Amino acid sequence: MDIAAFLVNAIRGGLGNLAAYLAAHVLLCLLPAFYIAGAMTALIPKESVTRFLGRNTRQAVSYPAAALAGGLLAVCSCTIVPLFAGIYKKGAGIGPAITFLFFAPAANVLALVYTGSVIGVDLALARFFLSLAFGIGIGLIMALLFRSEDAAHDAATSQMFAAQSVKGISRSALIFLLSWIALLLFGTLKLDFLTDSYLNTNLPLPGAQEFQALLDRLVPFDAGKGEEGISLQGVILILLLAAIGLASWRGFERIHEGFSAWTRAAIALIGWTLLVAALNMQSTPTGLRVGFTGKFFGVLLALAVLFQLGRAYLSDDALRDWLWESWRFVKQIFPLLVVGVFLVGVIRVLIRPEWIESLAGSNTPLGNLTGVAFGVFMYFPTLVEVPIAQMFLRLGMHRGPLLAYLMADPELSLQSILILSAVIGKLKTWTYVGWVALFSTVAGLIYGAWVDGMSLGVVVLYLALFLTLLGLALWLVNPRNNQLDAKQGQTF
Amino acid sequence: MLTIKILGPGCANCKRLEEIARKAASDMNVTAEFAKVTDYNDILAYDVVSTPGLVINEKLVSSGRIPSPASVSAWIADAMKAP
Repeated sequence: MDIAAFLVNAIRGGLGNLAAYLAAHVLLCLLPAFYIAGAMTALIPKESVTRFLGRNTRQAVSYPAAALAGGLLAVCSCTIVPLFAGIYKKGAGIGPAITFLFFAPAANVLALVYTGSVIGVDLALARFFLSLAFGIGIGLIMALLFRSEDAAHDAATSQMFAAQSVKGISRSALIFLLSWIALLLFGTLKLDFLTDSYLNTNLPLPGAQEFQALLDRLVPFDAGKGEEGISLQGVILILLLAAIGLASWRGFERIHEGFSAWTRAAIALIGWTLLVAALNMQSTPTGLRVGFTGKFFGVLLALAVLFQLGRAYLSDDALRDWLWESWRFVKQIFPLLVVGVFLVGVIRVLIRPEWIESLAGSNTPLGNLTGVAFGVFMYFPTLVEVPIAQMFLRLGMHRGPLLAYLMADPELSLQSILILSAVIGKLKTWTYVGWVALFSTVAGLIYGAWVDGMSLGVVVLYLALFLTLLGLALWLVNPRNNQLDAKQGQTF
Repeated sequence: MLTIKILGPGCANCKRLEEIARKAASDMNVTAEFAKVTDYNDILAYDVVSTPGLVINEKLVSSGRIPSPASVSAWIADAMKAP
């Protein structure tokens, strides 16, 4: 193969992958996910979660609360690091702070939703539960290893968290958030009653089939190599996405100066595009067959509720904060995702499935270590690990090592290691890095064993055993617990 | 004379907040001294959980979000009235 043909082939692979992604995954999954993340950042008062992280809170509450804070409040590293520094310096101690740090990048709302829709709900659930268990585990280990320093740190910090005013999420904001989640579920779940069409119309559109044939020639379509192809509906959606991008840029960038016509146009376009994405379009010899699916009606219902809430119940301030935070996430993450997905398409042309197969094709300790090592040495921006993981999966990677990779990659990168050592020091940082590498390997092995047919009971037993040992060790080594609990008994 | 501090490590939100605060001050013909607080220890001294934070005359008026220009103007007016 000569160089020119090779390059053309690689670039075609990249563009094809990008087009397929934009058409298939962005709209009903990523777009709502960005708005959910924005709503969580803007509408949930951070104090309502962080007040559970104080020193006087029992470990049984503060560690899960730290994980919850990670999942709900933090989406990208720019939120994670300030919150981590705040939690650590204001008295939560290193344990819950580490739990937060571990959980936030791996199992936040955006990452889970994206993993679930691109790779599979099983892997998203595994990512969630294993991150939860191991995040708390690593937090406890760090608290145990550095308990003398932690006690000194403890004495120096105020009771800041406990003193925070109790400010909960308002009811309309909660319903708003739940409606977005409902929209996301309607849009992405592959259940029969959602994907079936209840009403069909035929649009006379001569040439639709020829156009589809042209698309199939332009964008390589080979399921065996993980290529998805693109449909006529996909082209319409990509055009609508571009329009949304333009309107959002004009309407959301200056939103603090008030809602403009562009803002309203962007909101309307987003609503219509979500509806179009939920339709089922097939090209026929005479035109386009449009099916109104269960998905469509679900999305319509959710949008109606959202619109009514936004118009009548949410304050202008809340709406503005929400739109701004969502737009900020889009600006920050989406360009990286576009570049990442393009590169994945290029790389896919170059990698031979046999290489992946032989390195991590089965659930062995070595395979899992390979997954982790790849995650540590490669740095991918937020969420780009997901399309990369999907590529590995299609190329024959076992789901166990794949999870090991997915757990290690967002946790450990040169960037995060540097920031971390600035806040908590080198020794603690490298200890943390070591534990994450070990735990990710174990997570991959356990999940891989389950995929290979080990019963769920045995898996849960292993996990429970591991956590019990950890908790017991901590209890024995830390006598302060006993006094603390006696005090807590009165307040709880 | 006001002292307005922007708390934040230099993220996009902090820059936007500074823009809004500067515009509010100049629209009201208020002379103010602006300072950016970027060190975490100094930021945390103001009891904020999340950035960006806005401090007018050593009083924390907003944190964790970008306030609207109207409310920033109101806070500046309050600070001017206070002795």
